[in-house]
Amino acid sequence: MRSKPKLLWIDAVSCNGCSHSFFNIDLSFLDDFELLYHPLLPSGDFKIQSSDILIVEGAIKSNFLRLGFDLNELISKLFFKAKTVIALGTCAVYGGIFGEGLVFNKTSKGKFFKCKDKVINIPGCPAHPEWLFYVLNMLKENKKIVLDELNRPVEIFSYTSHMGCTRNEYFEWKVDAKRFGEKEGCLFYYFGCQGPFTHSSCNKILWNEVNSKPRAGTPCFGCTEPLFPKENLFQTETFMGIPANIPLGVSKRAYLTLSGIAKSLTNERLTKRLIKCENEDKQKDN
Amino acid sequence: MKINKKIINKIEGEATLKIYGDKVIEFAEIEFWQYRGIEKYLQNRHYMDALVINPRVCGICGHSHLLATAKVIENAFGIKVSKKAEILREITTGLEIIQNHIKWFYVTLYPTLIQDKSLILKSLSITSFIAKIIAVIAGQFPHNSYIIPGGVTCDLTNLDILRVKEDLKKLQEKIDKIIDKNGDSNDLKRLFEKMDKNIGKGLNRFLVLGDNLYFKPTGDLTFVKEEKTKSLSKNALYKDEFFEVGPLARNLHHPLIKSVYENYQDSVYTRIFARLYEMHLILEKILNEIDKIDMCEPSFIDYTPRNSEGKIAIEAPRGSLIHSIEISDEKIKEYNIIVPTQFNLSNSTKEKPSPAQAALIKEDIKWSDFIFKCFDVCAVCNTH
Amino acid sequence: MREKKKLEIMHTALKLFAKKGFFNTTIADIAKEMGMSVGNMYNYFPSKESLAKELLLYTARIFGDEIKKINEMDISTKEKIKKIVELYFKKAKEEPELVDYFMRVYLSNKEIFSNGCEGMLCVSPFVTEIMIFFEEGVRKKELKNQDFFAAFGLFMGYIGGLAFLNRENILGKSLDEYIEPVSENIYNALKA
Ligand code: SF4
Ligand code: SF4
Repeated sequence: MRSKPKLLWIDAVSCNGCSHSFFNIDLSFLDDFELLYHPLLPSGDFKIQSSDILIVEGAIKSNFLRLGFDLNELISKLFFKAKTVIALGTCAVYGGIFGEGLVFNKTSKGKFFKCKDKVINIPGCPAHPEWLFYVLNMLKENKKIVLDELNRPVEIFSYTSHMGCTRNEYFEWKVDAKRFGEKEGCLFYYFGCQGPFTHSSCNKILWNEVNSKPRAGTPCFGCTEPLFPKENLFQTETFMGIPANIPLGVSKRAYLTLSGIAKSLTNERLTKRLIKCENEDKQKDN
Repeated sequence: MKINKKIINKIEGEATLKIYGDKVIEFAEIEFWQYRGIEKYLQNRHYMDALVINPRVCGICGHSHLLATAKVIENAFGIKVSKKAEILREITTGLEIIQNHIKWFYVTLYPTLIQDKSLILKSLSITSFIAKIIAVIAGQFPHNSYIIPGGVTCDLTNLDILRVKEDLKKLQEKIDKIIDKNGDSNDLKRLFEKMDKNIGKGLNRFLVLGDNLYFKPTGDLTFVKEEKTKSLSKNALYKDEFFEVGPLARNLHHPLIKSVYENYQDSVYTRIFARLYEMHLILEKILNEIDKIDMCEPSFIDYTPRNSEGKIAIEAPRGSLIHSIEISDEKIKEYNIIVPTQFNLSNSTKEKPSPAQAALIKEDIKWSDFIFKCFDVCAVCNTH
Repeated sequence: MREKKKLEIMHTALKLFAKKGFFNTTIADIAKEMGMSVGNMYNYFPSKESLAKELLLYTARIFGDEIKKINEMDISTKEKIKKIVELYFKKAKEEPELVDYFMRVYLSNKEIFSNGCEGMLCVSPFVTEIMIFFEEGVRKKELKNQDFFAAFGLFMGYIGGLAFLNRENILGKSLDEYIEPVSENIYNALKA
């Protein structure tokens, strides 16, 4: 039998949310790995050592201490001693709120860009636990993980978070949610939902197996994207009333034509509340 | 005198403990060196953006930061929310406290004395079950933003509520196995087999500032002041004194917790017991509330923003959490966060120690890790 | 062949609409003017309404195609405004009936277009290009970011109004001479 892959998980500048997110799946599969270090789970004492898989959670930043080392030096040492590096979470992939990512710094090149071939990027704030589960198991079984141009596994990031949202019908017919707290309407036009142009599979591989932000009435904030968090996250940026960002892969002309047509043809069924309350009925009857 | 410097990790980040003394701790200094600058980051952003950024203060109690953010904006604008929204908020933030306590007990504290992997896996299966209940309401856990000024973003169906309720009952059974309603807990007994229940006594001074769930404030948050320290965290004082905040402080009125307190005062044992037992009290409260949800109420009530300031406190997993904001033209001018760890783990002098420093003084050095962690330290929160 | 005939019918209809008014013109009138039998007319357009709709689509496409060319030019928004005004006034001079139909018959007889031409449906090629023009102007920070219809109304209402005044022979000068000041005014009103 092959020996277990050595796994070292280090937290850089983070909120530990990616770890806590990871805790939401059955962790018994970790028995197939030798856990050298984890910032929260019990593991051996920390030391700089080689690993088969290094997971970096959190951003890098100068003048930051971690475990008695300068963070940048620490990450560099661990990085070069690792066979494969997983940048876990938007912090580690692009920098996020707290600093710079490994391979990328927002939309430009990051400190480890030159060595990007050994890095697998799993953005997300937090990263979805099943995405990491997938990557770890593929690595363990020596299977090829197809990556896109930003080193993300295509199996996860070729989707948009819009795909599979329960509000898709409202998007199709351009029925926009006009206020928060309603299960009807799409959040794209007024509330800043970034679903149609965010690479992620949140509405396919659901969160905690049950839900997603847009399903729960919260716009997608594009937390898997390089510029997360952008400004005005609950408002759609528009130019003369036209969304500044349109669905991925479509020309502006095509999108405007299509949405103009959809808007002109009202779908009666979608303009009403799905479930009426007894009170509401009574109020109307009176 | 010998100075022993050690890094305490696995506490949602790390702290440096400088211990004076050889065998017995004469005095201890607590330092946090991982400043992240969230408050600065918020400046000049739209106030709603804080609902996305603030949960990222902490991966384990981010939902409390979300609640505090929505509440401080509501406080600034003078907004009320529907009863339905309020109950849903109580359920999800209450559940966050419970998952926090379970993780703290089994993943943080237990391994300092007893290494038992199966316990960790078992406890994480419970916390992921809790996360799932939260997600039904809030979209996901961790890091949702479903609590917004004016209410909540979700619009549940009766089926969702039914499901949450059924799961809460199942959760109650799971928690009964950790500690039962009479306060009996095998895992707690096992932890204290070789431990003195009397060690780690703090200042015996308690403070509650938040009024969410069933908690009642014992102080007025305008008396809270921050003070710079040698490291990158700030001390938090109330009327210029240090106070202990957290589950022990806010549950002292409960007969069972009170009786433990009468036996062991504010020792590690009482602190741990209060934290574990609190899970029942919260669960009872939210099970009671869920039946009061009127599905016909709105989830969200609209409002008009104005230039204003707000300051509020809530009870978060580790104790009182204060947020304050200044809003001008819908933009954040100032944001300030004071977290419970700042109260409990302030770094002060031997003459005027903080609760954690007082608990460490005069104890055997070998218990330093345990005593320190029994406060449920959150380093990432502390160095937001 | 058939398409050419359809076009001829449409142009004839336009002239009659302008002369006799939309409601007073019948299919029979159009057939007569074309020297066709009414039965043959119906082979091309089953009803006056369908003719009216096709006419609208046709006009919107003409304008849409032309504005698209302007949109694709590498020039400033200010220059684009002038090009659009120019285009519009040129059409107003060359084919006054067409412009009149587009601006007045369509807008004041919305009820005829309620079935199959809802909302912006039949003018979509035109509106889409105008949207792109506005959107890019704001994106390039040359136009002020505002409500679409506030800007659209200002632009179209203004040049439509001038074309109308011109047709009524009220303008003192030729329409061409208004291109410059009108473009300037529109730009000043919309600029960032
Ligand atoms: S990516 Fe988000 S969840 Fe993960 S560590 Fe960074 S801030 Fe926390
Ligand atoms: S709410 Fe967002 S994710 Fe859902 S359908 Fe609308 S745009 Fe797509």
